Amino acid sequence: MLRLNQMKVHTKYIAGLIVVIFFVLCPLFLNSERSYFIYFLYTTFIYITIAQGWNLIAGYTGQVSLGQHAFFGLGAYITAITWRAGLTGYFDPLAFLLSGTGALLLAAIVGVVLLSKLRDDYFSLGTLGIGEILRVAALNGGSFTEGAAGISLNSTAYKSMNHYYYTALFIMLFTLVVIVLLIRSRVGLALIAIREDETAASANGIPVLRYKILAFSIGAFVTGLCGSLNAYYIFHVHPPGVLSLNWVVIPVLMCILGGAGTFMGPILGAFVLSIAFELTSIWMPEIHPIFSGAFIVLVTLFMPSGIMYYITNHKSMIMRRLRLTVFKWMNQKA
Amino acid sequence: MENHLLELRSVDVSYGDAQAVGNFSFYIDKGKIITLVGANGAGKSTILNAISKIIPTSSGEIFFSGMSTAGLKPEDIVKLGICQVPEGRHLFTKLTVLENLELGAYPVHTRPFMKDSIEKAFTLFPILKERINQSSGTLSGGEQQMLAIARALMARPKLLMLDEPSLGLAPKVVSLLFKTIKKLNNDGVTILLVEQNVHQAMEIADYAYVLQTGTCKMDGHCHDLLKNSDFKNTILGIRE
Amino acid sequence: MSYFPSLAVFFQIIINGTFLGTMYGVAAIGLSLIFGCMQVLFIAQGTMMILAAYSVFWLVYFMSIDPLISILIIIPVFLVLGWIMYKGMFQRVSQAGPSSTLLLAFGLMVFMESMMLFIWSPNIRSVKTSYSTSAFQIGDITISVSRLIVTVVAGIATCLVYLFLKKTMTGKAIRGVSEDRVTGMLLGINPNRVSAITFAIGIAMAGVAGVATCLIYPFDPYFGFLFSLKALIAIAFGGLGSVGGALLGGIILGILESLSSYTISPGWADAIAYAAFILVLIFRPQGLLGKAADKV
Repeated sequence: MLRLNQMKVHTKYIAGLIVVIFFVLCPLFLNSERSYFIYFLYTTFIYITIAQGWNLIAGYTGQVSLGQHAFFGLGAYITAITWRAGLTGYFDPLAFLLSGTGALLLAAIVGVVLLSKLRDDYFSLGTLGIGEILRVAALNGGSFTEGAAGISLNSTAYKSMNHYYYTALFIMLFTLVVIVLLIRSRVGLALIAIREDETAASANGIPVLRYKILAFSIGAFVTGLCGSLNAYYIFHVHPPGVLSLNWVVIPVLMCILGGAGTFMGPILGAFVLSIAFELTSIWMPEIHPIFSGAFIVLVTLFMPSGIMYYITNHKSMIMRRLRLTVFKWMNQKA
Repeated sequence: MENHLLELRSVDVSYGDAQAVGNFSFYIDKGKIITLVGANGAGKSTILNAISKIIPTSSGEIFFSGMSTAGLKPEDIVKLGICQVPEGRHLFTKLTVLENLELGAYPVHTRPFMKDSIEKAFTLFPILKERINQSSGTLSGGEQQMLAIARALMARPKLLMLDEPSLGLAPKVVSLLFKTIKKLNNDGVTILLVEQNVHQAMEIADYAYVLQTGTCKMDGHCHDLLKNSDFKNTILGIRE
Repeated sequence: MSYFPSLAVFFQIIINGTFLGTMYGVAAIGLSLIFGCMQVLFIAQGTMMILAAYSVFWLVYFMSIDPLISILIIIPVFLVLGWIMYKGMFQRVSQAGPSSTLLLAFGLMVFMESMMLFIWSPNIRSVKTSYSTSAFQIGDITISVSRLIVTVVAGIATCLVYLFLKKTMTGKAIRGVSEDRVTGMLLGINPNRVSAITFAIGIAMAGVAGVATCLIYPFDPYFGFLFSLKALIAIAFGGLGSVGGALLGGIILGILESLSSYTISPGWADAIAYAAFILVLIFRPQGLLGKAADKV
């Protein structure tokens, strides 16, 4: 029995490794400057990272943040401002570090204030407010943020799409590894305990506030990294772009669609939603958002707890159908 | 089939994988006081909630006046004439005493008697009349319990189910409460009483069922049980 | 621009803020009712408002029905719409927990927003009436007729909802179920029926707010979300689950916005509103009105 379980775990790792190798090799076979697929993967990687960051605080710890766009935007602005000031350069690791840390610090400060005082929906609303305040501050920041027009960066620095692709891949893998390690450790158990019953967790000696802030800050750090990368990608940092609510809403949707509080959920959700969005925007560009809205409504109506939950609950049925299909297919061939 | 007022036949209730009540059968005849006694977690409240259809039964049947209640919803049960006063009172604390009473007569067929029922409630519990426009959250524990019972009586139940009415009340208030319950019974209301306060429950009840971890351990007339050495050891002994 | 407004200007600001705030307040009442009864954060509320605004736009454009009369059409239609939305969608999803209902509301918002974009284009629309531009003077203060009418209508709608909750059995059941769903069931109340009615009323209030909005402000499909946010802030100010509180919260928000856009700058008005919002959440989660919020 034990061996079977171990085998299963090993297949998971091997499957994961194969997928990663595939992603690493992709640019070698495709013209990354032209390929739509590379661009698609790049954005999906970013969404997965933000979704996993949100998953950590909301899915595992149960504190639904609606302020992730604040961290994304802050990361982008830090990168843009330090580059404009000549403190950092194009694709500067220091800029990434500063952006991530800036977001982390904001999360820690906001966390101390909000997480200690607010629970449940009130925390969600509070974080939403933080994001909106940052947006208005950027709009009114004078020459520092250059207002609504935003900061334009030196786009002649652009070298190759591969830079972006691999950085996004790296950030995503970094996030996934951090999350796996965290969730498997005592910290992960503590976070889930907080989600299930905060009072019981604190009665058992778990420093609830500290762990909540930790989860919130780590999520903010990786989101800040994504913001930084996005600033380098679009060479233009302005409020409607980087502080748009889309940066919180879409990852949250992906997470819930896939199954919040699971590791594979956000990954699965990100791919499904990205594909759905891309396909509709290719084939029916005019009604693409209508379809997206209807899609979300349908998923919540028929799979309210997410795809992962659906899969785990219907595993035997799905596997049986899969086997049947394969069987039929092989028969036809023979 | 005999026409008992309420009859449960081998009822099972589970929360997920955990069975809370297993193969439980019992009946109540009209005009009686029946009590379910047992320790915490024995499944007493679960049985009441199963009768009220708040939680589903996994097997077994429940009959009221000889009619199966399968497929009915909680609100239908109230219309049939079964009212539950839940553990911990559960008043609408933001509503006034009067509004709480009025909501007790929510089922349409009881609304024409509303004024009359309210008068009755006030004669039964005069203190409530003094508090009529106070929000019910400001009442004392005893007053809250009275209001909860009065609210359930508004629907003119044939069967009144009381879940731990003495919980958290001072001894003096408790004995008053039990007197009132007896009085209600004399007025013709059949009562199903769930209590941890075994002694007092047995004093007013006609028949008792002893529950342990979801199954019926023993049952009998109260005066018989109180003499039974097994009962004394398992139930009263543990509690002493 | 002076930092210290004269008395007349000050009153003008307060009055403008009150007009604006009434709009937020009416939308917030619906949101607050729905949240109180079924813990659904219905962020599509603002989008429903804008849908009502576009409906009025069409009624005026194609049938030349006066916007104020169109309320009589909008309210029943939105009541039915709300009832269908609850029965068809939210009742199913409500068992799956708050994040699912939030997601569903968001999906509806995106869907309706894009439908409106598709049908009415992103161009800013406005509804013109014979009394759109008329105004009268009291001393140095100018009062626009349409704003006054709208405020009165909003006030009437609020009073009706208040009386409904206070005086009718269904209204009392709504308040009871909002507090304790299971106990409601034990008293013979069908919580799904009560929730459906609450949802219908909430959506109808969005309809009223939408009609009111289109009489005063130009609108486009994206305005909806902004209004949802403002309604949320209004609820936080007034305290959850209170009709009077939601309206008052809306008015406080409206006054705060017009005061800060006059004394500081219009650009910062939103940020100040959000900052006040967070401060209120932290220091007075029961709302600015405190105990008053405990009543209806």
